Amino acid sequence: MSVEEQLIENAKVGKLLTHKCTDCGYLHLSTAYYCLKCGSKGFEDVLLDGVGTIATYTIITVAPAGFEKYTPYAFVVLQLDDTHLRISGFMAGIATPEDLPVGTKAKITGFDDRGIIIEKQ
Amino acid sequence: MEKVCVLGAGSTKYGKLADSIADITTQASVSAIESAGIVPKDIKASYISNVFGVADKQVHLGPVLMSRLGIPDKPSLTIESACGSGSVSFREAYANVAAGFYDCLLVTGVEKVTHTGTEWTTTYFAYCSDFFYEGQAGASFPGLFASMARAYLTEFDATEEDFAKVAVKNHDNGVLNPKAHMQKKITIDDVMNSPVVASPLKLYDCCPFSDGASSVILCSEKFAKENGGDYIEVIGSGRGGSPAALQGREHLTTIPSTKIAAEAAYKMAGITARDIDFAEVHDCFTIAEIVDTEDLGFFEKGKGVEAIREDKTKLNSDISINPSGGLKSKGHPIGATGVGQVVEVFDQLTGNADQRTVNDAKIGLTHNFGATGASCAVHVFQSV
Repeated sequence: MSVEEQLIENAKVGKLLTHKCTDCGYLHLSTAYYCLKCGSKGFEDVLLDGVGTIATYTIITVAPAGFEKYTPYAFVVLQLDDTHLRISGFMAGIATPEDLPVGTKAKITGFDDRGIIIEKQ
Repeated sequence: MEKVCVLGAGSTKYGKLADSIADITTQASVSAIESAGIVPKDIKASYISNVFGVADKQVHLGPVLMSRLGIPDKPSLTIESACGSGSVSFREAYANVAAGFYDCLLVTGVEKVTHTGTEWTTTYFAYCSDFFYEGQAGASFPGLFASMARAYLTEFDATEEDFAKVAVKNHDNGVLNPKAHMQKKITIDDVMNSPVVASPLKLYDCCPFSDGASSVILCSEKFAKENGGDYIEVIGSGRGGSPAALQGREHLTTIPSTKIAAEAAYKMAGITARDIDFAEVHDCFTIAEIVDTEDLGFFEKGKGVEAIREDKTKLNSDISINPSGGLKSKGHPIGATGVGQVVEVFDQLTGNADQRTVNDAKIGLTHNFGATGASCAVHVFQSV
């Protein structure tokens, strides 16, 4: 499986595959090939629960092709619990900012033709 | 290093253009050549910036342009760096003149997309994001900047009306620019009542998709003195990068590449942000201009919004930001934008900006980035 396919397969079961640098311990999303902090290429896989809080988001009403049928929907950036990492994803059923205050608890729940799926906890 | 000068500059009108991409590329180039007072055979090579030539059935634009200019034997190169293509192309040409490889180069940026419609452009522009994480999850470009806007509203004392004021100011300037795409004044109410594109950004928070081409002649100081009329000097050039996806950035309201590029350009020029008289900055969305003016060092982080609220960035105020009307009003033909900013600086510093003249301006800056600022170039120019 490619690096992206591995991340996708884990997202499908609500997990986030990450890469921890074996030299300095810095944590990256699993698409990293070299360490951001020390430049090392050695990583060990660490599987996180894909849970966290909404760092920021937008509610999209003018959508790219293929997404028109989902509008309005949210594109969200999830701050993962207990780490500096964030992950982006698609959240259905969000129509107004009142539906999704920044800081709302949310989690990865799957992956499909809308990318990584994130839902409120 | 050789001193590098801008000897001539020209643009087509920005907007919905009927002529082909090859035609408008050539039109802008001819206007820059004539502005410089040179002939095509003086040009040693060209740098073309373009992203979606495929939309008008013409990629590999360089040889087409050179053939039309009667210099098909001269080399050319096309550069793509999303919405920042123009400034990167300019930078590559700058580096080649500075290094002494060439004494006279043509830099032309172009885009022709309005005939494709909003869905095509929304879809294809999203390919400039980190697609695996962002475009694939339904992010549009307005959506990514809206995510920055939401973070800014959360972190700082700002309102959507503050964002709207950026649009109003840039339309005020664009009305004075005969080449601008959107030559009409708007009000805060117009912005607030326009349809939501990606909350909290509304239609009038967004720059338009535009067609257009811009061109400049870059040369050594020796060439400028021997061959041309008015010219300006490039005194600083910097580039920078940021994590491709917003999620990877330490702060969601800062664009790291801008800070890196500006620091490099200021250092080369031996100046600070305080020395800049006016700046053409990358205001693809209203929030972007506020963030840019902070990252470029004109205002402290979180204070850019006060600056717009207190009219500090209007034409001939503390620092004139986007006297041309910016991307918001002048328009955003993405491959052309970074070159078009240099055209504005050339016009300003050679006394050809007419009603939108920044009074007593000596030093101007251009700031242009690709995507959400994943790539960026900043240049500083001085009148001679």
